[in-house]
Amino acid sequence: MAINISTAISRETVSELLNENIVIQTNNLSLYYTPEKSALKNVNIQIPEKKVTAFIGPSGCGKSTLLRNFNRMNDLIPGIKIEGKILINGKNIYDPDVELEDLRKRVGMVFQKSNPFPMSIWENIAFGPKVNGLSNKKDIDEIVEESLRQADLWKEVKERLNESALDLSGGQQQRLCIARALANKPEIILMDEPASALDPISTGKIEETIDELRNNYTIVIVTHNMQQAARISDYTAFMMVGELVEFNDTNTLFTHPDKKLTEEYITGRFG
Amino acid sequence: MSLFIEKELKESNISKYRKKALRNNKIAGIIISLGGYGVVLSITAILLFLIYEAVPLSFSAAIEEFSFFNSKNKNEKIMLAGLDRYVEVEYLVFENGIINFYSVSDGSLLKVEKLPLKLNEKILCADKGSLSNEIFSVVTDSSRLIVAEARMLPNYDRNKRVIVPELKIKSISNLSDEDDSKNRSIKLFKYSKNEDGNDFWAWVNDRNELFVKIFEAEEEVFYFHSLIDQVRDVEITSLAITQNGESLIVGENSGELLWFDISDYNEVKLKDNWKASASAVSAIDFLIGDNALALGTTAGEVQVWFPIRTKNNNFKFQRIHRFKSHDSAVSEIFVSSRNRSFISIDESNVLQLNYSTTSETQVKFTASTNSITTASFSPKSDALIIADEQANIGIFKVDNDHPETTIDALFGKMWYEGYDSPEFVWQSTGGTDEFESKFSLIPLIFGTFKGTLYAMLFSVPLALFAAIYVSQFAPKKVARIIKPTIEIMAALPSVVIGFLAGLYFSPLFQEHLMTVLLIPVLIIIMFLVSVFVWKSIPEIKRVKFAKGTDLLFVLPFLVISFLLAAGVSNILELNLFDGNINQWMYEVLGINYDQRNSFVVGFALGFAVVPIIFTISEDSLSNVPQSLTSASFALGASPWQTVVRIVLPAAAGGIFSAIMLGLGRAIGETMIVLMATGNTPIMDLSPFNGFRAMSASIAVEIPEAPVDGTLYRVLFLTALLLFAFTFAINSVAALIGDRLRKKYARF
Repeated sequence: MAINISTAISRETVSELLNENIVIQTNNLSLYYTPEKSALKNVNIQIPEKKVTAFIGPSGCGKSTLLRNFNRMNDLIPGIKIEGKILINGKNIYDPDVELEDLRKRVGMVFQKSNPFPMSIWENIAFGPKVNGLSNKKDIDEIVEESLRQADLWKEVKERLNESALDLSGGQQQRLCIARALANKPEIILMDEPASALDPISTGKIEETIDELRNNYTIVIVTHNMQQAARISDYTAFMMVGELVEFNDTNTLFTHPDKKLTEEYITGRFG
Repeated sequence: MSLFIEKELKESNISKYRKKALRNNKIAGIIISLGGYGVVLSITAILLFLIYEAVPLSFSAAIEEFSFFNSKNKNEKIMLAGLDRYVEVEYLVFENGIINFYSVSDGSLLKVEKLPLKLNEKILCADKGSLSNEIFSVVTDSSRLIVAEARMLPNYDRNKRVIVPELKIKSISNLSDEDDSKNRSIKLFKYSKNEDGNDFWAWVNDRNELFVKIFEAEEEVFYFHSLIDQVRDVEITSLAITQNGESLIVGENSGELLWFDISDYNEVKLKDNWKASASAVSAIDFLIGDNALALGTTAGEVQVWFPIRTKNNNFKFQRIHRFKSHDSAVSEIFVSSRNRSFISIDESNVLQLNYSTTSETQVKFTASTNSITTASFSPKSDALIIADEQANIGIFKVDNDHPETTIDALFGKMWYEGYDSPEFVWQSTGGTDEFESKFSLIPLIFGTFKGTLYAMLFSVPLALFAAIYVSQFAPKKVARIIKPTIEIMAALPSVVIGFLAGLYFSPLFQEHLMTVLLIPVLIIIMFLVSVFVWKSIPEIKRVKFAKGTDLLFVLPFLVISFLLAAGVSNILELNLFDGNINQWMYEVLGINYDQRNSFVVGFALGFAVVPIIFTISEDSLSNVPQSLTSASFALGASPWQTVVRIVLPAAAGGIFSAIMLGLGRAIGETMIVLMATGNTPIMDLSPFNGFRAMSASIAVEIPEAPVDGTLYRVLFLTALLLFAFTFAINSVAALIGDRLRKKYARF
């Protein structure tokens, strides 16, 4: 796959990425909430398969917006305008023949604030498979168990699958949301600051879960917490005011970043 | 120093300010709680008032002695007794032709009158001939018939009501011009005077011979009929003539009854005869209305019979009501001139107050220790006068304001006179005094729920789909127009909607019934067509429409379906329905199309209910957090799947409350159902005929209901029921809505 070498990506990383299978690629992606206000400017990024990629940057830098573009969640915002291309497995997801529901089935998402449906735990997990046409209860049961195991929640909830998901603790709810996303068997999981509303222990559990998932899924995670990015990601993208400043493998970015701006940010001179 | 003072001043200012704030807080608290308690209190007060007005319906009848005295004329038998309409004056007719008027309050003799009897001439029998005034006829041992009227008219002297009693002799004639030697001893004697002034006499002599005599007032002609041949050898034990003088009923010792038609004065015909009881029929009389025959037997049975239409269009008497039995033979029956009450008296002087329609024996008591010779209701049926052979006169107050409203009568099927079977009937007022009010609330309750049903059928889908569209699909701009527009609909006075429905849409629908029926069908077809057309537009062009505006694309198709319906209906009607669908429906399907019908009401009432359901459910749909819908979308659910699986359950509590509030509104709505239904209290679910709702019934009838009368109280009972219904619906709505919210709306 040809890689568009942009200034944001360091030479070393490019060579590294050449060995990876690129799943998501954006070409000159720009996004405007209103005609005057752009949230993303000419973003070019390649996200490799079965790796954890973290987006960091100060508030309002567009990292969440970028993330939410990958499953076209931004479409829900009225008056939005998108330019450029987003290729997932080589296919522009804004092509008219792309079915939105199918895209979102393949690209799962976990939100910043846990948002379980006001239903039972089982029904929460089963929701994805059901809306995507699965109706055999046995199959769904299997998926539910598998997803909960993957999200490291099975042991805690297997006795009370029929109880309301809202009775779970905050951390459990977030892992339930991860399990819910996994139930669709997605290729990519987008995580939008999944641990920002959680206590340190729950955060730790989420990170463990992500660690276990990294071998099977492409994970893109937005985080506010640089330590978290450093701990869990293989690649890290640093963004500012809608621009991708630096995209590097995590180690390099946190130890000797290419850009001065990145260094200033990770050393805490602004943020 | 000055600084210190300043500081102190400031502090005192602050404490003053605090105090003021506290005081205001207290005052506000009191006013607010007063308001809250006030609302609860006023609702309770309304409820209590409704109960207070309705409860007397359930009071049972009571008879209590009111005045008692002895006429001191023991040697003369009392033949008749009567009261004036104010129960101030009573009169007694003695065997010797003396008529005494007494004051009820102290028993003092007010006036003495005399029938023109010859020396030693005695009255054998006497009978009252009218229920509206005190006209009576006597037969003497000289075979003379005397008709007289005891008048007790009020005279207002210096604003004080004084009853002036007087006797008017109406006519004197002989029993029979042809032969009077036979008829010396009369055993049974009945007399009637109808509205045309014609007199009817029927009597049986000691040889068990039956005669009828009629006086035609206009032509002044007497007719005389001997029914000796018609009556077999069985002893006649009782007689009754209808008020209108059309029928004569003869009761026999064998328990059989003979029904003679005497409406043709030239010829008396036996219409029917049947066995009513195993024992002798000892007393019979027609209740007011000349239809129902009250009957008592020597075995103590008390029954009411009335003629029912048979298959071959004849009438046959049938036993409809049975009452509590007397322990001894029934000797007399006296009927009320007000309602379907009658008293039956037995040989051991026990008196029963019966109410025909409800089959109830309301009161049973021993009226006298001596043998009762005669009794009578007062003109208003609020008192009874009873005379015994010892010349004791008892006047009893009858407290029986609402005999016709038992629980059975209000909520069950009642067999009314003139009906072929027991039915639920609401018919509160009629044209004549003889009319019996029929107070079954079931047709009204049915009407209310029928109207509500059609209104909900129309409004719930419309309002819900509108709410879903506005909250989930419509672009903000469109939503901002639709929502307030629908909400403004709620501000339309229901009189206006009712007026439009009753005077504009009803005739319009009737005239263009075919079009109206076609529109819903065509709308569905055209909607599907529009979806098909939409899908065939290339994706790239479709994307240019903002999200939600795609539904606006349907609008032209709706217009087309209206035009199409108007265009096609004539052709369809001509070819399929013989040119007139109303006629066709009536002839082929047996459906009668009333102009003001439930269809129109459903439409109009639905129009009033839509804004309520729409607003509340739209609010609760919009309140479903975006995080849930986003999660659903992110899992690959389509917008419709998201609405059905996530948004609707989460908003279920609110939607349920909205529908229930709409239901409450529809049940209580008055003006629309009043103006657009025709108010016919029939029980038929057909959308093409009308109904009478409880609320409309109250509105229509309360102006003509006499205060504290039965209708008045029944209407209050209706109001109470309406209150109970809406109260129950709102409470259930609150309870279930709460539970649904607790279950699904935890966000």
